[in-house]
Amino acid sequence: MKHLFKPLAVAAAAFCVPATTMAADWTPPGPITMMIGFAAGGGADTQARLIAQGIEEKYGWKILPKQVTGNSGLSLASELAAAPADGTAIGMVVSESLTYSALAADNPDLQLEKFTPLATTASFELGLVAMADGPFNTWDKTKAAGEAGDPIRFGVASDRQADVAYLFGKQAGIDFNIVPVKGGAGVMNGLRGGDLDIGFVAGAQSKAVQQGELVNIASGISTTLKDSPDAPMITDLGSAFSLDGYFMFIAPGDLDPAAREALGAAIEDVLNDPETEAHKLVSKGFGGADVITGEALDAKMQELLDNAAELLDAANAG
Amino acid sequence: MSRDKANLGLGLVAIGLALVAVLAWVPNDTATGVIVAKRGRVSIGDAMAPMAAFGLVALAGLLILFEKTRTEGAARLSAANVRFLLLLTGVFLLTMVLMRWSGPAVTGFGQLAGLTEHGYRDLRDTVPWKYIGFVIGGTTLVASLMSLVERRVTWRAILVGLLAVAALIAVFDLPFPDLLLPPNGDT
Amino acid sequence: MTEVLNYVWLGVLAVFQGPGLFTVLGVSIPAAPLMVVGGLLTGIAVGATPGLAGPMAMAISLPILISVFGFTPDAILPVFGFLLGIMKGATVGGAVPAILFNMPGTPDALMTTLDGYPMARKGQPRRALRIAQLSSVTGDTFSDLVLFVCAPFLAVFVEAYLDLPEKTALLILSISFIAAVMGASVGRGLLSVGLGLVAAFVGTGQALTPRLTGGVGGLADGFPLVSAILGVLILGEIFKGIEDLIAKGPKHRAEEAPEDVEGGDDLQPGDIGRIAPHVARGAVIGTIIGALPGVGSTLAATLSYTFGNRRHEKRRKPTQAAFGKGAPEGIASTEAANSAVSGANLIPVLSLGIPGNAAAVFLILAADSIGGFNPGPAVFNFTAPEVNPELVTAFGIFTLMAIGNLLNWTIGGWFMRSMGVLARVPGQILLPVVLLLTLTAIYVQETSLFALWVTFGFGVLGYLFRRSDVPVLPFVIAFILARPLEQTAREAFAATGGDPWFLFGSATSILFMAAAVGSVVVLSRK
Repeated sequence: MKHLFKPLAVAAAAFCVPATTMAADWTPPGPITMMIGFAAGGGADTQARLIAQGIEEKYGWKILPKQVTGNSGLSLASELAAAPADGTAIGMVVSESLTYSALAADNPDLQLEKFTPLATTASFELGLVAMADGPFNTWDKTKAAGEAGDPIRFGVASDRQADVAYLFGKQAGIDFNIVPVKGGAGVMNGLRGGDLDIGFVAGAQSKAVQQGELVNIASGISTTLKDSPDAPMITDLGSAFSLDGYFMFIAPGDLDPAAREALGAAIEDVLNDPETEAHKLVSKGFGGADVITGEALDAKMQELLDNAAELLDAANAG
Repeated sequence: MSRDKANLGLGLVAIGLALVAVLAWVPNDTATGVIVAKRGRVSIGDAMAPMAAFGLVALAGLLILFEKTRTEGAARLSAANVRFLLLLTGVFLLTMVLMRWSGPAVTGFGQLAGLTEHGYRDLRDTVPWKYIGFVIGGTTLVASLMSLVERRVTWRAILVGLLAVAALIAVFDLPFPDLLLPPNGDT
Repeated sequence: MTEVLNYVWLGVLAVFQGPGLFTVLGVSIPAAPLMVVGGLLTGIAVGATPGLAGPMAMAISLPILISVFGFTPDAILPVFGFLLGIMKGATVGGAVPAILFNMPGTPDALMTTLDGYPMARKGQPRRALRIAQLSSVTGDTFSDLVLFVCAPFLAVFVEAYLDLPEKTALLILSISFIAAVMGASVGRGLLSVGLGLVAAFVGTGQALTPRLTGGVGGLADGFPLVSAILGVLILGEIFKGIEDLIAKGPKHRAEEAPEDVEGGDDLQPGDIGRIAPHVARGAVIGTIIGALPGVGSTLAATLSYTFGNRRHEKRRKPTQAAFGKGAPEGIASTEAANSAVSGANLIPVLSLGIPGNAAAVFLILAADSIGGFNPGPAVFNFTAPEVNPELVTAFGIFTLMAIGNLLNWTIGGWFMRSMGVLARVPGQILLPVVLLLTLTAIYVQETSLFALWVTFGFGVLGYLFRRSDVPVLPFVIAFILARPLEQTAREAFAATGGDPWFLFGSATSILFMAAAVGSVVVLSRK
C-alpha cells in the first residue's frame, strides 16, 4: 500500500531537504532524469541505478533512470545536449565518450566543452588479459610469438583501445590482428572460446583474475593494477599511450554552478558512504570509488582530452 | 489482378528498393565504405552488411518474379487495404498528439487558474497531472478503434477505453515508482 | 564430470534459493518456481482462447515481468520461468478448443481437430483431452531431455571446433535455411529475411556516425528491438484482425454449442498401450524437426500424423476408429509431435543464440532486455574455479523446464479441462485493448514516443507482409541474428588479418556455405 502515499512521501522528503543537507541550498525543481549509457543489467548500469537509489534515499530527490545506449556514449550525449540545463537531466557515460569518441566523431555539438562534467565514480582497472594456462600468459611469451611471426589476435572493445593496441604493436615490432568485439565481456568470451589470444578488459576481468582463470599480463593504465601489482604497465613495455579513464556523470552545458556543486556533492556523498549499496558495488567490482568533482575534474578532463587528441594524431599518422 | 500480377508487383518493388538503396542510399548514408583501411587496420566497413542485405532483397525480388507460391488464394494489396491503413494512421496520429500534448495543455490552463505554479515537466511524476495525456490518448485509441469496428461511437467503447487505461495504470504505474507512462519520458 | 554436476546443482539452487516473492511463516517463497506455475496457467488459458497464442501472451507479459523483477541478473530466472510456463501451457491448452469446438486454439493444434473433434462429437471429449494432455506432455518432456543433453554438447563442440569464420558461415547457413523453409515460397522467405537484415543494419555500425538513419537522431542506436519485434509480430496481427472485423461487421459470432459434452468418458483401459508407440514416434519426429530452426511444429505434426496413419491402417482392428474418424492414436501422433518441437527448438537458441520460432524469439528478447545472460556458445563455458553465472542460469532454465513438465503432468490436465468453458471476449474489445497494452508496455521500456511510432511503422510492415503472403517470422529472426552475424563476420575478417576469402578458408566453412546456397536452390525448385 505504501506506493499510494508515494507523492506524499516525496513531498515530505523534499520539505526536509534543507534541514538534512548542508552542502548546498540547491534542490532540483522537479524529478531528475538519469540517462544511462550502458546496456541494462551490466555492472555499469547497476552502478548508475544504485547511485540513483542512494541519492533518493539520502536526499529525497526523485530520480528517473533511463537507458540511452549506443555509439560509444554519443547517443546519450546528443540526447542530453537537448535536455534542459537545470539539473533535472544528467547522464552516466565513460570519460572516453566525451574525449576520444567525441573527437573521432568530429561532431561540433558533442564536444566536451558543450557539457558540464559532474563527478567521476570509479576509474578503469584496465588490463591486457590472457588465459592463465594459455600460451600467451606473459608479455615475454606474447612478444616472442609475435616476433616469430605467429599471428596474434588482440581483442579490443573500442576504437581507442584499437588505436593504442596498434601503436603499441608497432612500437614493439608486432603486427597484431586487432579484433574489435563487443565490450569487455566479448573479449573475455573470445579468450575462453579460443577465438582471441589477448585483449584489453577495463575491470570486468577482476574476479576471473583473482580466481586464477585469467591473468593480467600488463596494466593498460598509468598505474599498476590492484589485482596484479606485479604486471608491468604497457607504457613500460614500449607503448606511448595508456588507457586511463573513468565512469562519470555529466550534465548539459552551462549548468547552474549551484546545481553542479549540489549534484556532484550528492554523488560523492553516496559513493563514499560505506553503508550504501552503491559503495559496496563499486568497492567489490570497480576497484573502489574514485570521485573527482569541480575544478579538479575539469583539469582531469582536459588532460584526458589532450591525450585523446595526441592518440588520434599518432594513430592517423601511423 | 491475377496472382502473376501480384507476384510481378511485389518482385518489382523489391528490386526497385534494392537498386535505389545500393546505388544511392547506402553509399550516401554510411560513414565508412565496404572495406576500411585506416589507422593500421583493415576491417569490414559499415556499408558491407547493408549492401549484402539489399543484394539479398534484389535476389528475392527476382525469385518472386519467376516462381509460383505454395499456397492457394490471391495475396495482394487492395484499395480497401490502403484505405484502412490511412484510417489507422489517422487514429494513431490523433492518439499520439493527444497523448503528448493534453498534459502540457491542461497544466498550462492549471497555471493560469492558479492550481499549480509548475510546468508540466516538473509535474511529470505527480498525480494527477502525469495521467492526463495517457488517459485522454489511451481512451481515444481504444474507443475509436472499437467504434470503427462497430461503425458507431458508443458510451460502451469509451468506458472500455477508460477501464483499459485504468487497468494499465494499476499494472505499470502504481507498483513501480521508477516507470513512466506515456508521454512522461519525452517531456 | 564433477564440475558439470556442480553446475547442475548450482542451477537447481539458483531456482529454489533465488530471490523470494513473499514470505510465509518466516520461509521465503522463491519467485522462479511460482512464476512457472503462473506462466503455465496463463499459457493454458491463452492457448485455449482462439485468437490468442502463446507468443502474444509472452510479448505482453515480458515488459510487465521486467517491471516487477527489474534489470538485474536475478530477474532472469523468474522471468524465464513465466515465459517458459506460457510456452508449455499454450502447447497443451491449444488442444482444448480444437477438441471441443473444432477450432484450433493455436496454429499448432490444427491437426488435433482431425481426430479430437470427432471424438468429442462421439461423447468422449474428456477421454480426448486426457489423451491430448498425456501425449503432449510426454512429447514435451522427451524433447526437453534431449535439449538438456544436447545443448551443452553442441555449444562446447561449437566453441572447441569452430573458429570465427566457421561461426560466421554457420549463422549464414541458419538464416538462409530459415528463408528457404518458412512461408509460401523461397522468394518471399528471402525477401522477409533480406528486409529483416536491412532493418537491423539501420543505425548501428562501427563508425561513430550511425549509418542509414537519414539524419534522424532517434535512430542512432537502431530500431529498438522490442519495437521491431512486437510491431511486426503483434501489431501486424492486430491490424489485420481489426480490418477483418471491420469487413465482417460487429455481429458475426454465431457459435455452435458442442453437443453432449458430458458422458461417461475417461481414459479407457489399454489406451496408454494403444497410443504409446504413436507418442514415441511423434516425440522423436517433433524433436528432430524442432532442432532445425524455423521448420516449425505444423510440419512435425503433419509428418507424425502421416506416419501414424500408415502404421495404424496396417494394424487396426475393425472396432477401432480410423484416423480422421476420432482415433485416439491420431490425437497422440499430432500432439506428441507438435509439443516435442518446443523443447528441441531451444537447442539452437541456448547453444548458438539462433531462434527457430516465435516463442524462442521472445526468450531471446527477454534475455536481451534484462541483460546478464546472452544465449550463445559462451554460455556453456565450464569455467572453474570461477563460477560462470550464465551457465548457472542455463541449468536454472533447465530446472524451470523440468518443473514446468511436472506441473503439466499433474495440475495441467485438471486446469486444461476446466478451460472449455472459457468465456470469450469479443474481438472488437480484445484487439484495441491488446494494442494499447502493447504500446504502453513498449513505452515503459523505451520511454520515448518515437519508439511508439517505430512500433507502429513495423506494425504496418507486418500487416503488409500478411496481406502479401510474405512470412513474418523470417523477418524477425533475421532481425535478431543480423547484428551477431555482422559482428562475427567483422571479428573473423579482422582475426584472419583481413583475408577477403575467410568464409572459404576451411572445409567446415565451405561445407556450411555450400549448404546455405544448396538449401535455397533445392527448395526453390520444389
